[in-house]
Amino acid sequence: MIKIEEQEKILLAISKALKKKAMAYAIGGTAMMFYGLKDATKDIDLVFESEEERDIFKEAAIAAGFESMDAITVYKNKKNRPEMVRTGEVRIDLFVNDIILFRFSGAMKERAKKAYQFGDRLLLKAADPHDIILLKCATDRAKDIEDAFNIIKNMKVDWNIIIEGAENQVKLGKDIALLDLGDFFERINKKEGNTVPARVLDRIYTLLLKQIKAKKKANKKG
Amino acid sequence: MKIIELLKALEGIQTIKSVMLLLNADKKKAIYYVHRLRKAGYVKTSGASNKTRVYHISLENRLQTQSYYDVINRYAPIGINPLEETRIYGKEITPEEAIVFAIKANSVRVIIAALALFRKIRDWALLSRLAKGELKRQVCALYDVAKTIMRVRKMPKRFKNTAAPHKEDKYAYIIPGLSSDNFKGIEKAWKVYLPLNKADLEDYR
Repeated sequence: MIKIEEQEKILLAISKALKKKAMAYAIGGTAMMFYGLKDATKDIDLVFESEEERDIFKEAAIAAGFESMDAITVYKNKKNRPEMVRTGEVRIDLFVNDIILFRFSGAMKERAKKAYQFGDRLLLKAADPHDIILLKCATDRAKDIEDAFNIIKNMKVDWNIIIEGAENQVKLGKDIALLDLGDFFERINKKEGNTVPARVLDRIYTLLLKQIKAKKKANKKG
Repeated sequence: MKIIELLKALEGIQTIKSVMLLLNADKKKAIYYVHRLRKAGYVKTSGASNKTRVYHISLENRLQTQSYYDVINRYAPIGINPLEETRIYGKEITPEEAIVFAIKANSVRVIIAALALFRKIRDWALLSRLAKGELKRQVCALYDVAKTIMRVRKMPKRFKNTAAPHKEDKYAYIIPGLSSDNFKGIEKAWKVYLPLNKADLEDYR
């Protein structure tokens, strides 16, 4: 597990090896640590805006002592697998815009206001907690339910932002976003009690039905 | 209570009494909660005038980062509390960098607060490297404004000479659309529109 001080040292070491400036968005446990919602994370998840920036970062990570790693061992055959680098117990996942089943949208980028600069060349913006929850539903890990519950318990959550985020994902072509979100919230409620209000689940269900009807109509026409 | 829950519940400025009220705990328990947060690195302690201990509880204490506003607030007569800021790891922000940041921040309040930094500039060569072109003229113009209200470090002639505007240079705005009523002479000398008047500098008197 990587604690925040260790994360700082790693990112500083990489920033010193960077040949050009790079900017990325921190998601998952990394972002949660910037908000004080988590004490340690299993890996560092970063989303870049372009492959060029990711390559610059990856090159610097390798120069700083990391090794390239095959993402199939962790992500199996999932779409939009990241590039990965690791050293010892520390692993860094490098995505470009798409995170498996979700896209790091323009709205998410705007909401990422917390910024951290490492040295002179590396700028990280922490994803908004609402978007961290949304992105967590793309994975199947039990820890993610715990993380989402921690965010909901310790921060004031605007459910509309999360639902609109999922709707936005559907518009961006990620068809199962609403389904995943609803399922994720159901699992949270099953494990942690009535954390997500029933009206939120009802709204997701209504939107999902709408989506299904629209898809059926579109298939009939086609 | 988990550390994260404690942090979120007590984030901000607290005393033992306020902790007792917030968490509905007795004095012993309140002290214990603060002790746990301090052990995790989230607490900075200062003293109030009546010898009460004041605890600044924040995630940022543990992160040990710095922001440009921290440097500005260290010297400014009245501090700035920004809504958003970039925290910086792994390097010490110099007053020179903070001045350039303040000019680019596009805010009158930040510029007024940053005038105090002219008392702390030592590395004019660094400032010259950071502020190029019309930015250098803006630095010089603000330096002249700062000189009218406080004692400042002397600007080397070389810096001034390299910043001097040319005939073909146009007037530059520090903040688009804002110019001064009281500092026309400085504006003319540097071909820079200043976004402040004498009344804005009351905090320095």
